Amino acid sequence: MKGPLDRTKVVLRHLPHTISQSALVEQIDARFCGRYNWLSFRSGKQSLKCQSYSRAYIDFKRPEDVIEFAEFFDGHVFVNEKGTQFKVIVEYAPSQRVPKQWSKKDGR
Amino acid sequence: PERSARVSKIRPPLHQYIRKLLFSDLDKSSIEDVLRQLRKLPWSECEPYLLKCFLKVHKGKYGQIHLIASLTAGLSRYHDEFAVAVVDEVLEEIRLGLEINEYGMQQRRIAHMRFLGELYNYEHVDSSVVFDTLYLILIFGHGTEEQDVLDPPEDCFRIRMIITLLETCGHYFGRGSSKRKLDRFLIHFQRYILCKGPLPLDIEFDLQDLFADLRPNMTRYSTIEEVDAALVQLEEHERSGEKHTDQEKPRNMSVSGSSSVN
Repeated sequence: MKGPLDRTKVVLRHLPHTISQSALVEQIDARFCGRYNWLSFRSGKQSLKCQSYSRAYIDFKRPEDVIEFAEFFDGHVFVNEKGTQFKVIVEYAPSQRVPKQWSKKDGR
Repeated sequence: PERSARVSKIRPPLHQYIRKLLFSDLDKSSIEDVLRQLRKLPWSECEPYLLKCFLKVHKGKYGQIHLIASLTAGLSRYHDEFAVAVVDEVLEEIRLGLEINEYGMQQRRIAHMRFLGELYNYEHVDSSVVFDTLYLILIFGHGTEEQDVLDPPEDCFRIRMIITLLETCGHYFGRGSSKRKLDRFLIHFQRYILCKGPLPLDIEFDLQDLFADLRPNMTRYSTIEEVDAALVQLEEHERSGEKHTDQEKPRNMSVSGSSSVN
């Protein structure tokens, strides 16, 4: 099993559902620019039926960066325009798989 | 009464087509064809919607979930980003279900357990993900103030989730390190079960079937003391065996640029 020391993929949970990918990336890049290989953003939504938070998956280049990232973002509070506070959770992503960069172009 | 007729949702033609492929065309004989059609879609445009539909396994037939898993594995060759996202989403759904623990979500939570198991069967997630999920289900919320809401003492739903996952892929944990991991998990599982007290008959029968299927010779402990003793013994055994058992090989993942610095 991959030990905690060599895991590089994290998930940011409980982000505000209104946050945009660019706003989030801006915040992350302010400190961690160039230190991750891959980022995937999932927008949450709010409707009467269900509410879901936004999430982001990030694959860092080095395991040590994960620690620093978690120290900075875990528990970090985002406030949306209505003033609601969102306390972000940073965790190792349960699946550490990251897309292969050389994914073939589909000749179909 | 002033009530307008229900307006049915109008979906863009591409979305309608995706739904037709996945929810009505898909079966054992058409899967190759459906895969080919999916590959022909304009991906940049359709990917988010496809992801949404793949996660709707609970809307389709339970017996067809393996087809969706198979499609995921089939697409990973050309759209790995998508296939990775499917796994991340399923695991998030499972986690979210534990956090919210709402009665109305049960059917879909069961479908997601089944989906995860099938993704393992199609070699799209590895066993460590399956076991991490199993343990997460046993312990999530325990020891917190919310324990009685997240896993009420008389609620057997988590047992049902675990049965579903192990029914789906447990028979592949029959040898090597994954066999040991399942043996170990099943003892922890037994402890969880015993803490629940007497079980409803339907669950008890399903458990009997599961154990008969996976580990016919395993002892079913009848008291917490017995199972605790077994766990202590297991731990001692693991500690003494550590030196000469084969360590599981590190998984080869992340082909991307930086293989991690050790």
